[in-house]
Amino acid sequence: MSSTYVGTLELAAGAVLLSSVMTLWRRGVGSLVSMLRLQGLALAVVAIDLGAHERDRALLVTGGLVLIVKGLVVPALLRRVARRDPGSRESNPRVNVPSSLVFAAALTVLSYVVGTRIAALAPGVATDLAPLGLATVLVGYFMLVTRRRAVSKIVGLLLVDNGIALMTFLLTSGVPLIVELGSTLDVLLVVVVLQFLMVSMGRHSRTERLTEMKALHD
Amino acid sequence: MTVYLVALGLCAGGGLAGALAPRRHRVWVASLLGVLGCVAALVAAARTLLTGARATYHTAQILPLSGLSLSLDPLGAWFVATSAVVGLATCVYLVGYARHGMASRTALAMFMLFLLTLLAVPVASSVMSFMFFWELMALSSLALILSEQSRHGDARSAAVWYGVMTHVGAASILLGLLIIAAGGGQDFSQLSAQSTMLSPTAKGFAFFLVLLGFASKAGAVPLHVWLPKAHPAAPSPVSALMSSAMVALGVYGIVRVGVDLLHGGSVWWWVVVVLLGVASALYGALHATTSTDVKRLLAYSTIDVLGLVLIGVGAAGALRAVGLTSVAQVAMMASLLLVLAHAGFKGSLFLVAGAVERATATRDLDLLGGLVHAMPVTTLVAALGAASIMAVPTLGGFSSEWLLLEGLLHGLSAASTPTVIVMLLGVVAFALTGGLTAVAFVKFFGIGFLGRARSSGALDATEVPPSMRVAMIMLSALSVVIGLAPGVLVTTLGRAAATGLAIPDVAALGHSTGLVLAHLHGAVAPFELLGGLTVVMIVLAVGARALGSRRARRVDAWACGRDLQTPRMQYTATSFAEPLQRVFADVLRPQADIEVTHAGESRYYEQALLYQSRVADVVESRGYRPVISAALRLGRVARRLHNGNVDRYLALGFVALLVVLVVA
Repeated sequence: MSSTYVGTLELAAGAVLLSSVMTLWRRGVGSLVSMLRLQGLALAVVAIDLGAHERDRALLVTGGLVLIVKGLVVPALLRRVARRDPGSRESNPRVNVPSSLVFAAALTVLSYVVGTRIAALAPGVATDLAPLGLATVLVGYFMLVTRRRAVSKIVGLLLVDNGIALMTFLLTSGVPLIVELGSTLDVLLVVVVLQFLMVSMGRHSRTERLTEMKALHD
Repeated sequence: MTVYLVALGLCAGGGLAGALAPRRHRVWVASLLGVLGCVAALVAAARTLLTGARATYHTAQILPLSGLSLSLDPLGAWFVATSAVVGLATCVYLVGYARHGMASRTALAMFMLFLLTLLAVPVASSVMSFMFFWELMALSSLALILSEQSRHGDARSAAVWYGVMTHVGAASILLGLLIIAAGGGQDFSQLSAQSTMLSPTAKGFAFFLVLLGFASKAGAVPLHVWLPKAHPAAPSPVSALMSSAMVALGVYGIVRVGVDLLHGGSVWWWVVVVLLGVASALYGALHATTSTDVKRLLAYSTIDVLGLVLIGVGAAGALRAVGLTSVAQVAMMASLLLVLAHAGFKGSLFLVAGAVERATATRDLDLLGGLVHAMPVTTLVAALGAASIMAVPTLGGFSSEWLLLEGLLHGLSAASTPTVIVMLLGVVAFALTGGLTAVAFVKFFGIGFLGRARSSGALDATEVPPSMRVAMIMLSALSVVIGLAPGVLVTTLGRAAATGLAIPDVAALGHSTGLVLAHLHGAVAPFELLGGLTVVMIVLAVGARALGSRRARRVDAWACGRDLQTPRMQYTATSFAEPLQRVFADVLRPQADIEVTHAGESRYYEQALLYQSRVADVVESRGYRPVISAALRLGRVARRLHNGNVDRYLALGFVALLVVLVVA
């Protein structure tokens, strides 16, 4: 077990969580997308590192796929949305930024408390890092709940997805390629659909804040 | 068995033809295949009934994992025969009725499917096969109730009631059967062998679960609420099939599971069945007397007759449990004969209701009258049906009810107190029901067909097409045959009853056209009765001619001092039932509104008077409505969680996830 492998893995997994916490901190749409790109790249590094270590070609292919879709395509799509409205920011989140960061810390602690029990089932370098994935999921979910703008919600959804992907990589060395392919394409599709939806929302109601669309219910 | 499978195949073919054949040929091709299918089913059932041989069939196809198991024994064959007879008549009826309704692809296909399941349920011999056909029967009839939605506005609500009741019932049946099948295997023969190892509590629990489902299908009070809604909303051929074949399958289920699978159990099971029957008979008869909608009246009368059948089945089970097997067989035979007779008279009456509705565009007795002039054949069939259900001797209702009364009276010698008490209750219910039924059907016939027309629809009525007349006569003829010569059915009837009760066939009845209970010292000979009656009538008529005066005086009818008699001066259905409604006001809780319009300024002269009287179903308004409104209230509270805000939903999901993580 080379120290390069372990170091890279820990660094990349840490970067995934760090970038998700950063999305809570930064409010500009541009920097949200940058964080998402960083996270996608870190996730790809995790997959490729694991694949290289275990000589698992499928995992390497998956890593490449993650690199392309989550590191390049999805951020590029979101960047186009951001360019439509430069300088827009999450002006009024339900929970303000300092409290959000405290919540993020609490969620990370919770995921360590729960995650170490899961990791204890099969101790190893990779599985010990699994709580990071759970923390990313929770932080993403938290973002989904507390942010009002549609772009922020999409980013939250993508964080949840990335967190799940990280957990599968770390716990089971990735799910079969076909499943990973399916879920990745799903996310891509969701982003595309939401992008269209957001554009038409903006055209109709001049707002992206979902709370103002209450009248549509039922 | 081959013939029987051909019958099922023909019905399925009829369904396909109904769905796929071109518009012009659709109805007659489907009907023809249906008729052939019913004839084949009758042949197969008759062969089993005559020889007593049990035929089985198993295929791994059609149903995944378990395959389809069929077994035709005399008990099942009796019900197959009942369904086939009514199916035969309704298929013929359909040819003429199709110009009025039910000519759509869906309706025809569903009708044939319904017919197929009616033939298949009594033959299914494994849990999976039984539930498959049972549910298919419920679904196809549900679709048929909705098929005349444009004409009956309340069809949708009726379908919801029916759907809920039948599915709760099916779930209950499935649960009961699963308890019996707990030891593994799902074939009825395996279940029957295993159930001896079950504890009495488990057996009782299973029986009552199954009873809940089957009694609801048989329209037993208080599980009957769907029936007076569904029968009127369905097209008449479907109501006829539902009332005379489908409802009877509830009784079949009780016998099959109670005796065949659970070996009879304790006396208490059957005491409950008799009590259900007593409640249904009285409640159904009482509501039939006050109903003014023809089909609603017939629906309540179905509840009444099925109540009598349940009394017979319960009595048979109880007597079997206390060891009086020969009397038990008589009670069972009475129930089976009543099921067949009911198929004859109630089937024909529902077809009459359809004919009347087609001819007059109404089913309200208060708007009918005088149909005897325009629709002589329909009137004759209605008269025979009404007389039969009133148990007039020489008709079907009388033979079966006489047999049932014999069974109940001889059951009084049983050594078990609860049995004797319910036998007495049965006899009392029997007597009271007989009187109420007579009132209901005198009203049905007298108001609906005699007198003068009360609306333009009734005035302009014309007789229905030949195929509908033929179908009605066929079912009437069945009722007359059972009434005049019940003796010809005795051997097969005895065999079916003995198989149903799993007791030796003691051949209790002697061979003649009538019924002779050799070991119980009872006999009735309707054929001879009819002969004697005819002779007496002829003698009287001839005597009156010979001795009386020849000159007849012709005068106008006395008209209470008025010059002109109008149809409005006749009794109406509402007024005819009013005294009875008053007597039973505590049970029926009628609501009456009187609205007076005064002439001009005067308070003393009235211009118009509007009287309305409604009788709601007490069981529904007091028993079911509170439960439904409680569920709705709960729903409204839960709705507060759902305010249309995406963030709220996401937050709920997030909190739930955190709770799960912390708790785990």
